[in-house]
Amino acid sequence: METDDKELSPQESLALIKTMINKTKDSVADDSFYFLLWGWLVFVCCIAEFILKVYYQYPYHYVVWWTMPAAGIASAVYGARQSKQKKVTSFVDEALGFLWMAIGLSFITLVVINIINGQNWQTAFTYYILLYAIGTFMTGSLIRFKPLIIGGLINFALAIISIRLNYDNQLLIGSVAILISYIIPGHLLRMKHQKQKN
Amino acid sequence: MFKELDPILHSQLRLAVMSLLIAVKEAEFTYIREKTNATAGNLSVQVQKLKEAGYIEVTKQFKDNYPQTTCKITAQGIEAFEAYVKALQQYLQAGQG
Repeated sequence: METDDKELSPQESLALIKTMINKTKDSVADDSFYFLLWGWLVFVCCIAEFILKVYYQYPYHYVVWWTMPAAGIASAVYGARQSKQKKVTSFVDEALGFLWMAIGLSFITLVVINIINGQNWQTAFTYYILLYAIGTFMTGSLIRFKPLIIGGLINFALAIISIRLNYDNQLLIGSVAILISYIIPGHLLRMKHQKQKN
Repeated sequence: MFKELDPILHSQLRLAVMSLLIAVKEAEFTYIREKTNATAGNLSVQVQKLKEAGYIEVTKQFKDNYPQTTCKITAQGIEAFEAYVKALQQYLQAGQG
């Protein structure tokens, strides 16, 4: 755009508006870091708790979940750094921020409910998987990324299936759920953004 | 023929800036410069004009000791942009008829 005073025809004006709006379409931030951090951590925790509980009968098998607050801190630090580097904030970025904030609060709320409810964790994974489903389905729809949409939809089904399973097997279905909804789409999303950069 | 078109918006670079800002929540000066391929000097002047018209909000702050200018469209800016697009469409329809 070299000159400012060039006389525009209505057609040129509309074409310019269209071009500029199109240029903002790739401005949604790369959020794959969060999916990969939480995805891999939850996946490893599910498998580790299963092994500790089933094979070693370790009474404090749930200790693996104490890594979650650390991941929360890592996410917050990463988020703060990203927002400093970020040159543009799209409406989708803003909506996703609120969505995941609400989902994060829901996870914490569920943990508190389970603790108050006499440590009855039998239905915990059903609701966690349901939250993965909501978060990934909505994110996928907002950023128009099919792997997240598909992962989210499968998780709705897995949430139903999980209610019939005992806690040990819920750990396994939890690991499958996170693999399908976070890890695989997370890696694909990262690849997509890296391709866009090059 | 174009007398009724808002003169603030009916300029190539200012219209480009407004079109970018209407599509996002807010954007940094450097982002706008990248997307419009404008020179910093020219862009500064046009951003200032848009700001004076009340169409955009400009925030200047320091991030890690670097000055950072963030631009955001205002409600008045959105209204003016919509009126401009509507006027353009009327011109095009008149041209067709």
